[in-house]
Amino acid sequence: MDRNWVVLGVSLLVWGLLFFWILRVERRVSEVEKR
Amino acid sequence: MIWRIIIFLWIATTMVVALIGAPLVPVLQETTRVLYFHIPSAWVTTVALGWSMINSLLYLFTRNLKHDDQAAAAAELGLVFCIVATVTGSIWAKSMWGSWWNWDPRETSIFFILLIYGAYLALRASIEGEEKRARLSAVYSILAFVAVPPLMFVVPRIYSSLHPDPIINSSGKIDMDPMIRWCFFSMLIGFTFLFAWLQRLRVRVFRLERRLAV
Repeated sequence: MDRNWVVLGVSLLVWGLLFFWILRVERRVSEVEKR
Repeated sequence: MIWRIIIFLWIATTMVVALIGAPLVPVLQETTRVLYFHIPSAWVTTVALGWSMINSLLYLFTRNLKHDDQAAAAAELGLVFCIVATVTGSIWAKSMWGSWWNWDPRETSIFFILLIYGAYLALRASIEGEEKRARLSAVYSILAFVAVPPLMFVVPRIYSSLHPDPIINSSGKIDMDPMIRWCFFSMLIGFTFLFAWLQRLRVRVFRLERRLAV
């Protein structure tokens, strides 16, 4: 397999996981702020 | 929500174009890919530590704790992005120089920045009392930032280094393939907005912690 696709796949996966983790943290923070 | 999705798509699209569409730099070859993560991380480190210093100054002038929150959050994030820059640089060094760590002037400089801002966080953690912590941390942050421009930009240019030339070369020009340049600046913008988002979130957490502590 072309190495570029491997690097791209790993990069997108890490970025996607990080993005959704930040969103989740932000949602938690909003919930606590409302209490 | 919309601007968060824009940040996500911006960075994801740049990754696709950079890693699939852009050519490799002849000198760097396969390691060109690291460029799109390493330099934006180093750039955000400088921006974050500068923001920390500005807010430390503002705190000393106004004594408003919101500036202390900004300064602390920026220093933490600056340290995180500095670690990303160090790790990506080390991966690159292993590939190009055959060793993860060589005590090259750039590596030594970034190591000192990690130590200086690691000490900043240790200082914050060791002081009881909000006002005292904010005041001493602000003074430390201002003094610490004095070392950042020399370590980031001056030391690596004074001593001979194996590190590739800076993006803006000695004649003041950016010597890059147009496609690589587009991807590179696009990633710089994406990382800067990611930092702004994380900074905003971290400051909110600081405020919550203070509210809950009362």
